[in-house]
Amino acid sequence: MNRMKNAFTKKAFIAFITAGDPDLETTYQCILEMEKAGASLVEIGIPFSDPVAEGPVIQKANIRALNGGVNTAKVFELVQRVRQVSDIPLCFMTYYNVVFHYGVEKFMAKCQDIGIDGLILPDLSFEESEEVNQFKKRYDLELISFVAPTSQNRVKMIARQAEGFIYLVSSMGVTGTRSSFAGGLEELVALIKQETDTPVAIGFGINTPEQVKELSQYCDGVIVGSAIIKIIEKYGQDAPKHVREYVKEMVAALG
Amino acid sequence: MTKVKICGLFREADIAVINREKPDYVGFVFAKSSRQVDFATAKKLAAQVDPGILKVGVFVNGEHSLIKRLADEHVIDLIQLHGGEDNDYIAILKRSVHLPLIKAIKVQPGTDLRGLDYDVDYYLLDGPVPGSGEAFDWTMISKLAKPYFLAGGINCANLEQALAVGCYGIDVSSGVETDKVKDEKKIATLVRRVKMKKGRFGIHGGQYIPETLMEELHKIDAAYEHYKNDPEFNRELKKLLDEYAGRPSLLYYAKKMTEDLKGPKIYLKREDLNHTGSHKINNVLGQVLLAKKMGKTRVIAETGAGQHGVATATAAALLDMECEIYMGKEDTDRQILNVYRMELLGAKVIQVTSGTMTLKDAVNETLRVWTGRIDDTFYVLGSVMGPHPYPAMVRDFQAVISKEARQQILEAENKLPSAVYACVGGGSNAMGMFYNFINDENVKLVGCEAAGKGVDTPYTAATINTGSLGVFHGMKSYFCQDEYGQIAPVYSISAGLDYPGIGPEHAYLNDIKRASYLPVTDDEAVHAFEYIAKVEGIICAIESAHAVAQIIKDAPKYSPDDIIICCLSGRGDKDVAAIARYKGVEIYE
Repeated sequence: MNRMKNAFTKKAFIAFITAGDPDLETTYQCILEMEKAGASLVEIGIPFSDPVAEGPVIQKANIRALNGGVNTAKVFELVQRVRQVSDIPLCFMTYYNVVFHYGVEKFMAKCQDIGIDGLILPDLSFEESEEVNQFKKRYDLELISFVAPTSQNRVKMIARQAEGFIYLVSSMGVTGTRSSFAGGLEELVALIKQETDTPVAIGFGINTPEQVKELSQYCDGVIVGSAIIKIIEKYGQDAPKHVREYVKEMVAALG
Repeated sequence: MTKVKICGLFREADIAVINREKPDYVGFVFAKSSRQVDFATAKKLAAQVDPGILKVGVFVNGEHSLIKRLADEHVIDLIQLHGGEDNDYIAILKRSVHLPLIKAIKVQPGTDLRGLDYDVDYYLLDGPVPGSGEAFDWTMISKLAKPYFLAGGINCANLEQALAVGCYGIDVSSGVETDKVKDEKKIATLVRRVKMKKGRFGIHGGQYIPETLMEELHKIDAAYEHYKNDPEFNRELKKLLDEYAGRPSLLYYAKKMTEDLKGPKIYLKREDLNHTGSHKINNVLGQVLLAKKMGKTRVIAETGAGQHGVATATAAALLDMECEIYMGKEDTDRQILNVYRMELLGAKVIQVTSGTMTLKDAVNETLRVWTGRIDDTFYVLGSVMGPHPYPAMVRDFQAVISKEARQQILEAENKLPSAVYACVGGGSNAMGMFYNFINDENVKLVGCEAAGKGVDTPYTAATINTGSLGVFHGMKSYFCQDEYGQIAPVYSISAGLDYPGIGPEHAYLNDIKRASYLPVTDDEAVHAFEYIAKVEGIICAIESAHAVAQIIKDAPKYSPDDIIICCLSGRGDKDVAAIARYKGVEIYE
């Protein structure tokens, strides 16, 4: 059974981590610590050589992981380890070529097999999503839909098809911590809510409890990536306990 | 993309064209018809059909035993019921055969399409007299409960209307026949036109790009669709090309090269003589003019060697646009003079230090920057790559090369060339050189890829020869990548060809075998660079020298009656120092 729904029984804290940065053991520990700290869902990033939607922080995490010898097969093993001890909802976040090159159907079958609940593919546009959507029922996976500040004319079309949750991009540009977000986010959430009951989580740039408090008033969850990666970058293998403290503080700020 | 089914195959001769054009489905008719096949013939034909094409057996109240035998022996992958089969018939059939079912519906005025409740996977809507080649009134079609094929009287003339109906697939038989047999050209034209929909070239192309950019891509697409047919826009662009860039470019008969190589008559299409020294200006003037029409005030672009960056900076200066150029650190170091040129033209050059610090990383960074600031900013992409509409738009702007060349060679020789040659990185000069010759089937199209130190080494950028199918930089195409789909670092002496992908239309021309793509090494290119300088007195770009090198290799295969045209895409001033270093001579710019 797909676990995604379990993430949204209350306001969700979604944590992103790049698999294998700085090594797979640290990633494993961080995932378990984030769960203990109250994270509702973890996005596991399969590193890609050319992550075009990422800012410098996550770009560097991708490079560190790839230089450490991480590949798709090893990330699958990581998920299998996590699944032995945890039932937390898990998504893969990666670029479409990683999935496409593995074979879309084969990749999705593998995801079901190891216990992944959803896929987040920032460069697979709504227009091209049928390539993945055609298999999602068969393998009980959700493909997460993106809505951006530029999506006003597209919200209806996207929201109607969206399942799992909707990833609302908070701002123009790439991932990375920010002090402010695009205007009109609340209106976008309202537009989405007119079309669907699928939960809406906001991501890109969120890094302080104050931001979590503010945004979670009108959406169903927040997604935090770069801020966590920064902690891992700073503390390396010693990062899991620092990540736990940070996530705990962020979760406490959820409305 | 709408699927296409070519129905009624019965000749072995048709299989080759089917395998080349790759419709999604083919149909074998087992019912009484001029196209009827028996078990043995179908089995023989089916065995030759490309495994990626699904085979549909068409039956009119067919015997279950025959259908089962065809299914068991993998002659067919789907079953089309074209008679009076009802749900009882279907239920019994489903007990013994587990293949997807298509139920054909003869549509007449008053047919209740909403009320259809057959236990099948697809419907096929046909005219009242199947096989007659006559279309029914498609406006009758309302929303159906199941995906459906549209059949009956579809041909190249009404294809657009058929596709506009919104069906799952179209089914064509007599529409691709001449005198009751399948016509190779009609099949090719029809399948290609279906597959060309929505920015696709066969399976290649598309729009694989983050959501933040999608609305803007649609705006550019709409603006381009409008302006490309706008007489005023075309007048302005032609004026810029003729009076500013110096078009038409010369088609020069390389007499000495011709005599020396003792092969075909060789002509050079002199894009190196354009303002800014390469073909890049053709595309850039088009895109910056379009940006201006769209109300943009700022252009951004990636550059490898710096040719596209210099051209963009030039157009931006001329058309009063703010301009930022992204260039990998490797390339800013290799091409320091071009960095200064761009700055001289008023552009800001930003050094990209992520990834391999070359052209692909410059594209990544330009995409990232664009995502952050769209309202006033237009991304001037430098090649026939990226998400739709860029591959088609850049091709159209570069097609002026072959439009002129075709006319010039007809004036000079009164006949078409046997072949045209061009170097290929992303492939913009090659696409421009090929485009107006694609329908001249006797003109060979030859793309010359940068093999670097050789296609059997990791130091290569020959995408067609060493890459595999992937999705990157907004498009599906061929890419150099590793076993996990990580984009591979590539290498070539030529910064302009040092790119791990190739434009989607080239990938398609390769798939359908309309063009061939051959690898040329650094050594061969450097030799050609020196050769054409000494023989013709032309210092061409090291990129273009890859095409010259292939001509040197191929010359003995041609006769003196043959004519070939080589696109000299750029001039080589920028490369002189690098070639000297390659030859072990240290000179300082």
